[in-house]
Amino acid sequence: MNSEAVMTRLFEKLNDLKSIFLYSEKLIPVIQSLIDFMRDTIPLLENINHSITDSAAKIPKVSHQINNVTNATELATNEILDLVDKMLNETQHSESMLERLLEFEQEKAELIREVAMESNSPRAAELLQKYDEKYDNRARLEVILGVVKNIKEYANNITISLQVQDITSQQLAAVNHLIDSVQKKLGSLIHDIEKNKLKSADDLHIPFEESMTFDPNARYQNGLSSQQMVDDVVSKKINPATQEEIDKLFHKE
Amino acid sequence: MNLKFLVVDDSVTMRRIVINSLANLNYLDYVEATDGKDALAKLESDPEINFVITDWNMPEMSGLELVKAIRADERFSELPVLMVTTRGLKNDIIEALKARVNNYILKPFTPQVLREKIEQILSTTITEK
Repeated sequence: MNSEAVMTRLFEKLNDLKSIFLYSEKLIPVIQSLIDFMRDTIPLLENINHSITDSAAKIPKVSHQINNVTNATELATNEILDLVDKMLNETQHSESMLERLLEFEQEKAELIREVAMESNSPRAAELLQKYDEKYDNRARLEVILGVVKNIKEYANNITISLQVQDITSQQLAAVNHLIDSVQKKLGSLIHDIEKNKLKSADDLHIPFEESMTFDPNARYQNGLSSQQMVDDVVSKKINPATQEEIDKLFHKE
Repeated sequence: MNLKFLVVDDSVTMRRIVINSLANLNYLDYVEATDGKDALAKLESDPEINFVITDWNMPEMSGLELVKAIRADERFSELPVLMVTTRGLKNDIIEALKARVNNYILKPFTPQVLREKIEQILSTTITEK
């Protein structure tokens, strides 16, 4: 290679170098702003980390409160059930007594009729008929009996409505399960950020009972439409169901 | 026919409601169990139990597992089992039927529905016999 060619090549390289310097000159402010951005981001990340830790620390309390709500509603529901039981017992007692009184009234009316027939005095018969009309309590007793039966039915309806407690407790258990998952996720996030284990992992333990079972779709619904759907499925399958029939049902969905 | 019910549910409230409903229908003989395992123990110890009403979601052993265990044991394989649960998805009902529950009630239920299903089960089991 002659010296002219060497020089040409050198100038080419110098030009390349110049371009790199020029490019670097443009790049430096970008890198600088990136560094500035990262510097600004660090406190932000620390803030996020702090928020996550803080939120994670609050979760057990929330979960604990949900458990408290479940326990309190169960207790209250059972207290209501105790009262409803007492009410039902007393209405049952009243119902029996009223039915007995109705029988007495019937017997009394028959006796009055018999006495009137046996009596030879038309005046006495007339008075007995008046007495029978005035003091016949059967109609009144039947009204009271109807009221007692209504009260009994209302009490039974209260009992039925109290099934809501079981349904809400399953819904709350589902929420608790969700919270537990969030807590675990947050724990792993904090771990990733800090690159070490949660310092207060024990403190963050959620009182979630692993044994707790629940239906996440549990819902309180009045009316018979849902039961009708169940009955439709059951009536198709209640008689010796073949696998083929079951499979058909699955494919319909 | 004298019926002795085994009422299986982990919720005290629900057990009471089922028992109250049974009392309304004049069925006064019952035993309680808190989960499937407890229910199996009760079945072992009380041969007079001739009708099981069970919830599905329970700790230790679920209602579905209980039904499977009952059907797997030839002593109880023909025992009438009624599932009372919140699980209303079609697949759940089919799964229960595959396990051979005799009927299925969705919570919340009324005593009328309970009576209807008990009578249906009894008429079916008597016809089969």
